[in-house]
Amino acid sequence: MKIKKADIHKIEDFLWEIPKAFRPNMRVPARVLASEPLLDAIMEDRSLVQLVNVASLPGIKGASLVMPDVHEGYGFPIGGVAATLHPDGAISPGGIGYDINCGVRLLTSDQKIADIKDKLEMLSKEMYAQVPSGMGKGGQIKLSTQEMDEVLLKGAEWAVEKGYGEKRDLAFMESNGRLENADPSLVSDMAKKRGTDQLGTIGSGNHFVEVDYVAEIYEETIAEAFGLSKDQVVILIHTGSRGLGHQVATDYIRQIISAMPNYGIEVPDRELACVPFNSKEGQNYFKAMCAAANYAWCNREVISWEVRNAWRNIFGPTIEPLKLMYDVAHNIAKVETHLVDGKQAQVIVHRKGATRAFGPGFEELPESYKSVGQPVIIPGSMGTCSYVLAGTTRSKELTFGSCCHGAGRRLSRTAAKKQVNAPVLKENLKEKGIFVEAGSFKGIAEEAPIAYKDVNMVVQTVSDSGIARKVAKLRPVVVVKG
Amino acid sequence: MKIRYLPHTADIRMKIEGSSLEELFTAGVLGMGNILRDGFCDKNGPFMLKLKIELTAHDETCLLIDFLSEVLSTSYAEKAIFCEVKFFELTTKKIRAEIHGRQQTQGFDEEIKAVTYHEADVQKNNNRDWETLIIFDI
Repeated sequence: MKIKKADIHKIEDFLWEIPKAFRPNMRVPARVLASEPLLDAIMEDRSLVQLVNVASLPGIKGASLVMPDVHEGYGFPIGGVAATLHPDGAISPGGIGYDINCGVRLLTSDQKIADIKDKLEMLSKEMYAQVPSGMGKGGQIKLSTQEMDEVLLKGAEWAVEKGYGEKRDLAFMESNGRLENADPSLVSDMAKKRGTDQLGTIGSGNHFVEVDYVAEIYEETIAEAFGLSKDQVVILIHTGSRGLGHQVATDYIRQIISAMPNYGIEVPDRELACVPFNSKEGQNYFKAMCAAANYAWCNREVISWEVRNAWRNIFGPTIEPLKLMYDVAHNIAKVETHLVDGKQAQVIVHRKGATRAFGPGFEELPESYKSVGQPVIIPGSMGTCSYVLAGTTRSKELTFGSCCHGAGRRLSRTAAKKQVNAPVLKENLKEKGIFVEAGSFKGIAEEAPIAYKDVNMVVQTVSDSGIARKVAKLRPVVVVKG
Repeated sequence: MKIRYLPHTADIRMKIEGSSLEELFTAGVLGMGNILRDGFCDKNGPFMLKLKIELTAHDETCLLIDFLSEVLSTSYAEKAIFCEVKFFELTTKKIRAEIHGRQQTQGFDEEIKAVTYHEADVQKNNNRDWETLIIFDI
């Protein structure tokens, strides 16, 4: 199936639609949030075919959606949102992805970039030493069976109780770093085994710890509420639930493929395998996914503890501690209330490479953020820039309260490796004042800026469409990755 | 047995071929091992770590993906890379086999998050060989 530009209708600025009539099994239209140049770029891979496939999910409401950073995935496109009616609409593990609760968090410091410039290289080496990265390497914590169940149940709270985190942090995380529906007994022994020594590790691929500074402020009032100011040094952490989450997804996709015929469900791609949310298999997956999401929040909290240790080791014990600004998931399913067919209804919102972006007044937000909206953190590619945005009420109308999650890949890893000389890139970045500490040159080449879309264009699109407001631009000075 | 790595925007797309299902499954294990650590299976024999795997599935495509998923999980759990397969039984719906590999304490080059079912379709090609694509989530 080939999708041509003529098949796509412009609904309004930045919103495009492939109508339900495009293919007989579509239950809703497929919508793309993008500027026209970004739409043209999106059409170069198979993202839109995958988006049309998602529109056939049982119980899907509104539209299947993709954000401007979308790229081709395996089944669901990466950068997508699908909401199905609660309680009997579909839940699909592929709509969350294998890295359950992959997400980002931002820590803020009281330091200005000019004051720490001469210590950046030392800081990069210390962070690389403190935060285990790369594949197949464990962390400092080895969980017992009982401790593992506590992590899966309590999420970031476990880290705080054990002295690996700060109590204040919990209020500054999506869902306060803990999903209530988690059931550790539904997580396989293999998944638990894989997670035993991975708390506090970032892994490899596009995961990283980055030191940035605030290069630009767009909305003074919101920036002030978030605790951000010009030239301030901040730290960005991007990782997820590691092998434990990958195994939970693998286990349940296999089970759900087997269970689908019992519910008369057929899907155009096995990676879209789904069952009714209120079925036994659907509930088992959801509860296991919540447990894996809790592991991810605990992981990012432990990594923050390691980063805080590195920070103190370089700047001394009296330095003002790093504060958590916010932590958001971008691979997750949540039961939320949205406007569906003209009335408020509960839906299961699948976000795969998409960030929740709720506007002002959202009950869960900490008091200081309630009047300005939820922080949305958009990491760019290594060596370019990242953004902090604020969610709006418009996102609820257009995208089930969702926004983009990054720049979005443009080149394959193979193509990036062919085009990039990693040692040269590392030196060039150093000359620009960006210190990169990585496990391999291969990792640097694959994640080079050229491999990604222009994050400025992506963020401008979400900002112009009204689903989020630009608050601050961050520029990197230290990148630590596997 | 043929193993080729093809472009994909974010992940790894691998095409494997074999004159029998045994060869195809072996190609999958070998191709995956060499992704986990570049060239590992081509130069690190003999593979003395041996573990048994037994699985059933609806069809040969699910069987291959489920089998490779199991090999991948075992790689992470054992911190080892597997490169060879000894088959006790292999039909289109069942496998009983022993995978052979070696511990890799230095870590892996690549983190494969999962072996996906996307684009996987085990079938015979015009040369009467078995073939399929496999997308690894990276």
